[in-house]
Amino acid sequence: MTSPGPPGSPARVLIIEDHAVIRGVIRLACEEAAGLEVVADVGDGESGLEACRSLRPDLLVLDLSLPGAVQGLDVARQVRAEGLPIRILVLTGRADDRVLFESIRAGVDGFLEKTAAVTDISDALRRLAAGERVFTEAQERAAIAELGRIVRGARKASPGERDLTPRETEILAYLSLGLPVKQVATRLGLSPRTVETHIANIYKKLDVANRVQAVSRAASLGLIDIG
Amino acid sequence: MVPIGPSGYASCSMASRRVTQRSQEARSPRRRLGVVLVDPLPVVRAGLAMLIEDRPDMAVLAEVGTAEEALEFLERTRRTRMVVVVGLGLDGEHDALWLIRAVRERFPTLSVLACGAKAEPAAISQALFVGADGYVDKNLEPARFVESLREAAAGEMVLAGPPADWVGQIADGVKQQQDVESRLTVREREVLKVAAEGLTARQIAERLGVRERTVTTHLGRIYGKLGVGGRVAAIRVASMSGLVTVGALE
Repeated sequence: MTSPGPPGSPARVLIIEDHAVIRGVIRLACEEAAGLEVVADVGDGESGLEACRSLRPDLLVLDLSLPGAVQGLDVARQVRAEGLPIRILVLTGRADDRVLFESIRAGVDGFLEKTAAVTDISDALRRLAAGERVFTEAQERAAIAELGRIVRGARKASPGERDLTPRETEILAYLSLGLPVKQVATRLGLSPRTVETHIANIYKKLDVANRVQAVSRAASLGLIDIG
Repeated sequence: MVPIGPSGYASCSMASRRVTQRSQEARSPRRRLGVVLVDPLPVVRAGLAMLIEDRPDMAVLAEVGTAEEALEFLERTRRTRMVVVVGLGLDGEHDALWLIRAVRERFPTLSVLACGAKAEPAAISQALFVGADGYVDKNLEPARFVESLREAAAGEMVLAGPPADWVGQIADGVKQQQDVESRLTVREREVLKVAAEGLTARQIAERLGVRERTVTTHLGRIYGKLGVGGRVAAIRVASMSGLVTVGALE
């Protein structure tokens, strides 16, 4: 993913960081490391994107919280969307699971917290230039934990619980034919008490008060086939 | 016959150490994590079983080839701390997704792991959405595989095998599934799944045991809800969201 330069030439780095002092520190860390060359450093997302397009750096050090409308992750997503061959290292003060997850999802290649030592930054950039991903196991686990939360949220929101079970559908079908509970029970090999329980659940799920309403609601929802 | 060493104490040969270990395990079988293996391939089951039996803190409680046998076993057992590993290759009317759903509904305290061979993000999203606590790949290093079982039992989401940057795609797939599922009823989803096999309305009607007119009514409603003009588009939406898998899961 590094841009074509003669073999052995330093990797070209772009820094997007709004805090001037930190920007200076990162710049210094890169300049003191062999194999890295800073092509520019900017303080906001828009200029950063422009610089990505015009300067074509190999590596991008990206702060997540930037001033203005274009946030750090917006820059990352846009770089990916435009297919720019830039390896992205996110540097951030906030490192909660959601941020990690969104960063990975946005397609960044590495993640460092700002508490990292200065040499960690140049090490990470060198590893990125070599094609590695820079994530600790803990960070990848955190992203997966966030996936777990998203999955659980989606499951809860799903109306699956409203749907009738196969057994309930069977019973409702018999009810729609006008059979009394006793006969339904005999046909299905269940006790009448069990059938009554199922019917109560059916009413609850369909939010109705009696058999006629249940059959009508179920038919209109397409849960049973009548006629 | 235990040989006595020069110190007067029994010398610990490999064999007697094994016996000691086994008797220790035998003393606390309940504390071991129980694993139920479900996969249509006997060789896969045998391989995973060997891997698990090798660990002192785990035990294979059952290894079966069908969803029915799995549920049968789960109904009978009294154990509550178990991990059920479901091979995504399980197909037929009661396939892997059906089983994962059934276990989630009937035995909510158990951990379920979907197990595949280099499954695609969409297949993983489906498995997670219907209730799996994670996905493990069959190509995993044995130690990692076993560790994933422990993580699942501890209540953590597991994603072992796929590249880490798939989390985004998988999450997107799950959200899409939820969106499509919330729009269609159970029956409509059933009709769509069968329709995705390429059957005519009459064939679909035969398969589901309903009238052809009913099927066309359902399809009409489905197209309206999904905002599409016809069957091909509907199936495309459904397969993109993982509601139907066009082709086998693995």
